[in-house]
Amino acid sequence: MRALSYRDKDTVIHALSPLAKLAWGGGLLVLSLIFNHPVYILILFLSIILMVKLAGVGREWASTLKFALWLGLSIIVINALFSYHGDHVLLTAPFRLPVVGQPVITLEAIAFGAVMALKLAVIISVFTLINLTIHPDDIMAVLLKMRLPYKSVLVTSLSTRFVPCLVEDMGRISDGYRTRGVQLDAGGWFRKLRNRAKITLALLSNSLDRAVQVAEAMEARAFGNGKKRVFYKDINISKMDAVTLGVGLLPLAAGIIVRVLGYGDYQYYPNLTAIQFGGWEWVMPAVMLLLLAAIVPLAFLKRRVDLD
Amino acid sequence: MIKIRELKFTYNGAEKPALHKINLTIEDGQFVLITGASGGGKSTLCRCFNGLVPHFYGGRISGKAEVQGLDILEHPPRELATKVGMVFQDPENQLVTTDVEREIAFGLENLGYPKNLIARRIEEALDTVGIARLRFARNNELSGGEMQKVAIASVLALHPEVLVLDEPTSELDPQSAEEVLRLLERLNDELGLTVILIEQRLDRVVHLVDRMLVMGGGEIIADGSPGEVMNGDSEGLGIGLPPVIRLMRELKSHNAALNGLPLTVKDARLRLQKVLQSVKTADFADAGESLKPILNMDKVWFSYGERAVLRNINLDIERGGFIAVMGRNASGKTTLVKQLNGLLKPSKGRVRLDGVDTRKSTVAELSRQVGYVFQNPNDHLFADTVEDEIAFSLRNRGADESEITKAVEGMLNEFELTHYRHSYPRNLSGGEKQRVALASVLVGEPEVIVLDEPTRGMDYVLKKKLVSYLDDYRRRGNTVIMVSHDVETIAECAERVVLLSEGRVVVEGSKREVLSKALLFSPQINRLAQALSGYGVADTTLTVDEMIEQIG
Repeated sequence: MRALSYRDKDTVIHALSPLAKLAWGGGLLVLSLIFNHPVYILILFLSIILMVKLAGVGREWASTLKFALWLGLSIIVINALFSYHGDHVLLTAPFRLPVVGQPVITLEAIAFGAVMALKLAVIISVFTLINLTIHPDDIMAVLLKMRLPYKSVLVTSLSTRFVPCLVEDMGRISDGYRTRGVQLDAGGWFRKLRNRAKITLALLSNSLDRAVQVAEAMEARAFGNGKKRVFYKDINISKMDAVTLGVGLLPLAAGIIVRVLGYGDYQYYPNLTAIQFGGWEWVMPAVMLLLLAAIVPLAFLKRRVDLD
Repeated sequence: MIKIRELKFTYNGAEKPALHKINLTIEDGQFVLITGASGGGKSTLCRCFNGLVPHFYGGRISGKAEVQGLDILEHPPRELATKVGMVFQDPENQLVTTDVEREIAFGLENLGYPKNLIARRIEEALDTVGIARLRFARNNELSGGEMQKVAIASVLALHPEVLVLDEPTSELDPQSAEEVLRLLERLNDELGLTVILIEQRLDRVVHLVDRMLVMGGGEIIADGSPGEVMNGDSEGLGIGLPPVIRLMRELKSHNAALNGLPLTVKDARLRLQKVLQSVKTADFADAGESLKPILNMDKVWFSYGERAVLRNINLDIERGGFIAVMGRNASGKTTLVKQLNGLLKPSKGRVRLDGVDTRKSTVAELSRQVGYVFQNPNDHLFADTVEDEIAFSLRNRGADESEITKAVEGMLNEFELTHYRHSYPRNLSGGEKQRVALASVLVGEPEVIVLDEPTRGMDYVLKKKLVSYLDDYRRRGNTVIMVSHDVETIAECAERVVLLSEGRVVVEGSKREVLSKALLFSPQINRLAQALSGYGVADTTLTVDEMIEQIG
């Protein structure tokens, strides 16, 4: 779990302003939702690979991608099994189900599932990249800069900080249970559920104890004493940061225009539309790719300015 | 100055007051130790100093308490933060941010100080505590000792006049504990900071403090210099005296030339050298012939990912033995004992219980033969009542109800839990929870019992009972394996000691071979014996009784 948390690294991506990274990542999330076209989704995914590579977090990203892969596979399988739209039937079940009729597996349902899985991989990768390359306190500072209330931001930050502790607690409590003679995965589903419920209750109780201790420690250090809070490590936005922020937002702005112009959509049912590569059909994805990658030369430039 | 008059405090929902008729004055610049049995009111009293009691906890309070001229009833903790800094027991749960610099800034930011002042205070705090190298380190990558130092730095940055610490070393290994205590000594000596420290291990601190308070039943039952307090009825106070002090008290009763109490080994040595005349020669033999091993580790390796934590461990654990496993933090102690009940299975090599490879059984199956008591009692507690908690393992293995009732009654009596039989285990105090956890494992009468740091943070009375119970348990033919840093307890009760370093067994032998003449792992009495060996005292002496046998 701790392997997936932020670590300081000397890379151009780590040195980028957190605001720019959040804008870029947030833009990517929105784009992955508004585009349906496989080529556009693939471009989003490629741009993530580029950033991951430059940030030197390939190994950590790969481990979350493994999780995304399993989730993606299940999306493909479920969609193929339960979505009977599409004209190209690959397999027909030899039985009928009530209400839905005779199950069929179509090429279109598989293709749709595959693109949804790729979208999911993009979304998970964005969160992983943000998590691995932005200091959690910087995320907090950015949220505060956006004038979100301090107490809410602090609570969110504290909850994420204690996730690794929760995972460790869970391991220890399960071990405690096993050493008392309980086989956690034995027996019927009711017994398993009961065992898990006991562990969850113990976990909850530990977390409440921890919450009281943290609150006590905060109170003892003048938390909430009514004075206007100062932020020692406030995020200062230099001109360079403002430019990278602007460039970070470009893909989102361009993507919205592209969608409004009618590009980036794709029909999966009843037949897969042929992918066109003529005229603007070709230019638009290329522009998107360029805009998504535009943050990279700026990141190198920023580092040079920082070093100077 | 802290002035408390007739203070009485009762937590909401509690029948008895946690503090009763407290009258106390602490002058500026004093180093005060507060000790006593668990549940005696130490933590509650300390939480009064910065207003956490009553403002944070709520409850009924009467009397008067003033800290540096401010009435705690009128000033909540956030207002007292610049007067009283508080450091808590758990190193991890008192850190709020993610890195050291931000952690130190946290309190200053809350107070709205200007950024340049915050920067200056951070520098000061880092240097005062000696952790400048950790400035940009992430909190979750620090060791327990480093976390406690960061916690101290983060309160020092607020420039408090009083520093209150609630058992800050109870979760640390001896070296880290020593470092934290030396830091407190320096803060008191050089900066004149008033330090109020709760601590159970008196041998670590009595020589550092000016004044010692003992609490029991919500009252201050002894107050004076360490020498004065420890000269009195320590058993009645429920405190465990350091071995050199126990020795000198015993010797003083026969030798009029000895007066006063030594607070350190050096002090004891100097006093004894003056009066030592005759020494009876003693040869302390180790336990008899080796018995058949019940557990055997054969070329055991264990890795977490690519990191090898155990490296080629070969170990035989004899039936009926009492083995202590020692070593620095992260030397592989817990990983080693987790192999014994199958919680972890070796990456390479074999662990055999009664000749059978542990890989062939589940943890649940092995639990009938090997009981395991975790460091934190909370990891054991699942049931709704103490009674059910103790009955759990037996019920789980389908024992007869009459047999369960008999065994549970036995455990309730043995661990003095009868009064709490219907209580929710997690609502009990730390010491009580520890007793429930022990009872819940021991009720199954496993042939082997593994205890991971059972005496950490335990008060004297409970520790004494545990040691006596384990000794009795072993005498009934069972095997006890204890991971511990507590050299004094090991010197009293263990037979063999295994010393680990970097995942390897560095030394393994009788406790006398391992603990005597060692630099770091020698008990106080052995350090004294080594210094007095020129007078004929055996340099393998480990306990007070053995010393008295020779010079008493």
